[in-house]
Amino acid sequence: MKRFAFLISGRVILGAASVAAVLLSYSWVTGQPDNNPALLPPIPHIGEAFVVNVTRGTLIDALGASLYRISMGFAIGTSCALVLGCLIGWYKTIEYLLDPLIEAVRPIPPLAYIPIVIIWFGIEEFSRVLLISIACFMVCVVNVVAGMKNVPQVYVDAASTMGATRFQIFRTIAIPAATPFIFTGFRIALAAAWTTLVAAELIAAPSGLGFLLQEGRRYFLTDQVMMIIVIIGACAFTMDRTFRWIQARLTTWSEARE
Amino acid sequence: MSEIVVDNLSHTFGKNTDDALTVLRDIDLTFASGSFNTIVGTSGCGKSTLLKMMAGLFEPSDGRMTLDGEVIRGTDRRRGMVFQQDAVFPWMTLAKNISYGPRLRGASRKEQAEIEARWIELVGLKGFENRWPRELSGGMRKRVDIGRVYANDPDVLLMDEPFGALDAQTKERMQAELLDIWTITKKTVVFVTHDLEEAIFLSDKVIVMSARPGRIRHIEEISLPRPRSGEMRLTDDFIQVKRKLWGMLEH
Repeated sequence: MKRFAFLISGRVILGAASVAAVLLSYSWVTGQPDNNPALLPPIPHIGEAFVVNVTRGTLIDALGASLYRISMGFAIGTSCALVLGCLIGWYKTIEYLLDPLIEAVRPIPPLAYIPIVIIWFGIEEFSRVLLISIACFMVCVVNVVAGMKNVPQVYVDAASTMGATRFQIFRTIAIPAATPFIFTGFRIALAAAWTTLVAAELIAAPSGLGFLLQEGRRYFLTDQVMMIIVIIGACAFTMDRTFRWIQARLTTWSEARE
Repeated sequence: MSEIVVDNLSHTFGKNTDDALTVLRDIDLTFASGSFNTIVGTSGCGKSTLLKMMAGLFEPSDGRMTLDGEVIRGTDRRRGMVFQQDAVFPWMTLAKNISYGPRLRGASRKEQAEIEARWIELVGLKGFENRWPRELSGGMRKRVDIGRVYANDPDVLLMDEPFGALDAQTKERMQAELLDIWTITKKTVVFVTHDLEEAIFLSDKVIVMSARPGRIRHIEEISLPRPRSGEMRLTDDFIQVKRKLWGMLEH
């Protein structure tokens, strides 16, 4: 127990140390007399941009818009992935039917759909949510299928010799056995959602973090750009940690340690 | 009554193809209701295949098997199976594993609790009810496997080298405990092993198989008195049977 506590604190210290090292190097570089603050804004400038955007209300609005798109896209994309992935992974007929289709479409980057989505649906909120949904679905479905396919045969045989029906095996064996894979799929989908969000907002959005980035580029506000990058990193990190926390709670049975 | 009859059974993998492989040929066997039967043979003699067919996990290419006159087709709770591998569900606590079968059929919480209490006691795991399988040793997990199958109340128990991965001491203790449970429940058991001593110690009837293709070489009725104790392994009668059967196993 004591050793465990040491590991945790050691882990926090090491993590904090690497962040501190980056911050220190950055402030050392920007503190050099020949540094151009317009290209590499010093940390206080970035902080100032943060304060300005918070007081103007732009940051909160942008964050709200972006988080809304992420959550909608993530919810829609991963729900579809969960349902279809389970069916594909469990029922051979559905696998033969859909697998070639998904495998053919999967390598296409979601951003490649931007032109067609804009032509079909215009520069609307729906288009942005759709793009994020596609991105989440594509990366998540693969993990759900893998989880279903990796259910150990001996569990299936054990359940069926105890009289479980095919659907009971699906519900009581396949789903719980696949949970670790499914959660990995959720976490990868979340990362994909952020990637797609910023790209989609850079191209066509009247609001959001990507919009603020674009504004920063247009008016040469490097400090604002840097600030948004940090905000995105912090948001993605927090969300991923939350997911890991939920996963750890739901799979206490698993031997795997993170 | 729960008598299994294997009737003129053969099995060929990839039948009617160029690389057809016959693993079982002309098997005729009767496992009397309430008896303890063991099939021994070296690896590759098809004993596990035969057992899995009895469970209904796949079908023989020729011949048939019946349980009380009814042809075996597909899996069924009447024929429970303990596997060679660890089959304890890691996402359920020990108690939930034990009551898995009854829960499938909608047993009430009270019934589940009664079944859990009874079988956890009988397999000697009292005090571990709420543990995760990963917290248990290999021997304890095997007890969960056995308790879970018995708690499901099948007519016949099929056991595929259940103690194969255990150390010698644990194995002997579990054999004795399995006999205790068998004595209480009087259910038909078909046990598969490559360990001759285990086969003689446990059984009423030992079936010796030869390999490639798997065939029945000899059937030995074991008349050693019951209840059997560990020391019996060292008696002349025991050793005499062992010597006789040892000569029949292919080494």
